[in-house]
Amino acid sequence: MGLRTKLARHRKDSRVIGGGLVLLLLAATALFYLVQRGRDLPTALVTNRVLLFVLWYANVVLILVVLFVLLRNLIKLLVERRHRVLGSTFKFKLVATYIGLSLIPVLLLFAIATELLQGSMDRWFNTPVAPVLERGNAVAQALYDEIQHRHQLAAARVLREVQEIDLRDPRQLPLLNRRIQALRGELDVDFLEVYEGRDFVQAVVDPQTGLANPPDPDRSFLEAAAKDGRAAAVQTPPGGRGSLLLSGASSPPAPGTAEVGPVIVVAGSLLDPVLAEQRETLVEDYQTYRQLVVQKDDLRASHLLLFLMVTMVILLASSWTGLYLARRVTLPIQALAEGTRRISGGDLSHRVDVEADDELGVLVDSFNRMTQELASSKALLERSNQELVTSNERLAAERALIAAVLQNVAAGVVSIDSEGRIFTCNGAALDMLRQREPDVVGRHFEEAWADPDRARLAAAVRELARSGGQGGREVHLTVGGEWKTFDLKGTALRDAEGKIQGGVLVIEDLTELIKAQQLAAWNEAARRIAHEIKNPLTPIRLSAERLLRKSRQGDPGLAKAIEEAEETIVREVVTLQGMVDEFSRYARMPRPRPAPVDLPKLVGETVHLYRDLKPGVAVEGEVDPKLTAVWIDGEQIKRALINLLDNAVEATEAPGRVTVGAHPVNGHLEIQVADTGRGIPPASKEKLFLPYFSTKGRGTGLGLSIVHRIVTDHQGEIRVEDNAPQGTVFTVELPMG
Amino acid sequence: MRAKLALLCFFLFASRALADAKISEIKIGLDGDRVLTSFVLRNAFDRRFSERVDSGLPTSILYRFELARDRKRWWDQKLRDATFEVVVTYDAVARSYSVHYKLDDKLIESRTVRERKALEEAMTHIESLPVFSVAGLPREWRLLVKVEAELGSRTVLSLIPVTINTDWRESPKFRPPGIP
Repeated sequence: MGLRTKLARHRKDSRVIGGGLVLLLLAATALFYLVQRGRDLPTALVTNRVLLFVLWYANVVLILVVLFVLLRNLIKLLVERRHRVLGSTFKFKLVATYIGLSLIPVLLLFAIATELLQGSMDRWFNTPVAPVLERGNAVAQALYDEIQHRHQLAAARVLREVQEIDLRDPRQLPLLNRRIQALRGELDVDFLEVYEGRDFVQAVVDPQTGLANPPDPDRSFLEAAAKDGRAAAVQTPPGGRGSLLLSGASSPPAPGTAEVGPVIVVAGSLLDPVLAEQRETLVEDYQTYRQLVVQKDDLRASHLLLFLMVTMVILLASSWTGLYLARRVTLPIQALAEGTRRISGGDLSHRVDVEADDELGVLVDSFNRMTQELASSKALLERSNQELVTSNERLAAERALIAAVLQNVAAGVVSIDSEGRIFTCNGAALDMLRQREPDVVGRHFEEAWADPDRARLAAAVRELARSGGQGGREVHLTVGGEWKTFDLKGTALRDAEGKIQGGVLVIEDLTELIKAQQLAAWNEAARRIAHEIKNPLTPIRLSAERLLRKSRQGDPGLAKAIEEAEETIVREVVTLQGMVDEFSRYARMPRPRPAPVDLPKLVGETVHLYRDLKPGVAVEGEVDPKLTAVWIDGEQIKRALINLLDNAVEATEAPGRVTVGAHPVNGHLEIQVADTGRGIPPASKEKLFLPYFSTKGRGTGLGLSIVHRIVTDHQGEIRVEDNAPQGTVFTVELPMG
Repeated sequence: MRAKLALLCFFLFASRALADAKISEIKIGLDGDRVLTSFVLRNAFDRRFSERVDSGLPTSILYRFELARDRKRWWDQKLRDATFEVVVTYDAVARSYSVHYKLDDKLIESRTVRERKALEEAMTHIESLPVFSVAGLPREWRLLVKVEAELGSRTVLSLIPVTINTDWRESPKFRPPGIP
């Protein structure tokens, strides 16, 4: 039978258990009532053979039922144990305990009750009442025997005395009457009767006895007397009081009178009612006692059978209850064990289907909840696993793609972990840095790039790391004896919590680009220099030609023309001279000489020059007041600021705002010049710091180049970005101290 | 083990005990179609039975009769059965025994006897009792009457009630006078 079927039956059991217990209680009550009533029942009924057999067969049936229930369950348990069914050992122990606990006391109680009953009955029948009753009965019977013996003798005497009288002759009846009358008085009997066969002939009665008529003897008495020659009987008198003691004697019938029957003489006395009653009571009591003695075994058997039946009922009820309770306890445990086995086998859909409202019910509910959660977790895990597999596949594909891209990309890509160890380094980076992969990958970047040629790269990475991993640097390295310019861009790799897990360096070799840019810039510079030189030359040439023409014509205004030409030529030469001086200064810009500078003061003085220069354009300084001793070359920095402010004020239309800010940031001094002007196109930003590049269409185009040179001479950097919402921001980063 | 099992079975299921009493040879007489049966039950009045009779408790001897057809090569075929019960009750006051005879639970006679010997005779001497009718039975059938007596009950081990029975006794074979 399956566990599910058992559990269903278990539920049915729980429904019928109440009814069963009620029925058992009713049966026990009825049995108790019967036992109580049994005390009042006559002994004969209690010892009735039918009752005994009914009780015995009821007991046999109960014994068989108990044995069947016990053996069936024990065999089932043994079979379950042999087949190692889950929970069978526990169930076996529980059932054995229950049955043992119920069997032993019940059987002990039965044994004690039986012994007590036997002992009681033995003591009851061993009391001295038996001899007393026997002797009393013997005395009473002896009295009757003695009276009847006397009557017997009297009857025999009368029989002899009336033998010569012909009883069929009516004339002799008076003689018969006189004779028996005389004999009655002589023999001292209360009455005498003479019968011929069954026919009454004559009788005399002592009038003092109170008997109105002579009593009629029983027919059986007369028959016995006729048959045996003598008979004795005790009869109840017509009045019902006292006893009649009769004795009869007969003689063989006379020849020729066989058809009539023998002559029977009956002699008797009416016993005193009190004496008769006492004798009757004595005899009846004795008979009652004898009946009890005779029925002793049956009485004992009936009581024992009743005990046995009660015992069997209790045993049946207790063993059945024990088995039921054991099943009730073990079934959920068995179901739990089976559930555990199924779940350990991977069947997480299995549920323990047991209705219980006790702790086992809580256990089953918890188990089912746990199983459900396990199933949910497993489903989630499988889904996550599937997602992970998919993600891994995607990542692998992406990794392959990235690897392919990285291997084929022109830029060098280096990944560094949070500890600073180089994780990957693509071929382009290795080519750029002229290194082999084993010398780089897996080593700390400081170690990998420790040699003097690459120390600036390590320093730049360090700077990037210090600034949060974000940003760009231009690094100049001597690699393989060649001067190289690299654009270094860093990107921090962060985890979900924003914590930096490493970074990626993108290295771009700008050497050729810069060369090309420089070439283009020098071309532009040459073009502009030529243009700038050509501009003054034209008036000079025109002035010279005018003087020549005037001179050839002999123009009277030659002197004035000479004077005007001289002015023009001098002016243009001065312009040329200024231009040459400017170039000379750019070419001969001295090395910075750092000294402690009060930066707020320096910025304030510079800002003051532009404060009211352009109406509607506000120029303000916002400098950290603590920056009173910054190690910079004050003059050069002031010149750089003037160049930047000059451009910013010019680019800003009213209403507008130009701000100069200076703050320490990550150990650097950061100076920003921001405007709300028209901004710089992206294409121009790349060439902004090249010499002789200008978007204004005038000037030498050396302003920002000078700024760039001052900043780089201070080991700093300058970059240009768009200002939000509009305008441009120039940021100068200088090392502090 | 086998002996223990047999003993257990005996105590559980045996409800009959063999009496010391024996039924004497059965005499069969035919009165027309009626079968008259005569026999004597000997040793019926043992101490237990006598004590029960003298105690005044109604005490009976139940005779069971079976009329069977005798078959040589097969079991006898039971044709009819009947019971004859003799119940005695002793009146200690009147010092007489009332004896009642019931044939198939119908009272057919009652008598009073005063002597013990007469009582024993009245209960155990069965004379020409017309138990069966063989009317309609083929003449060529060989018949027999089987009789057993049940003399009350007693208990084994103070617990198990058993009836006290004599062996079945068979009469001589006879043929019915009926259809030729």
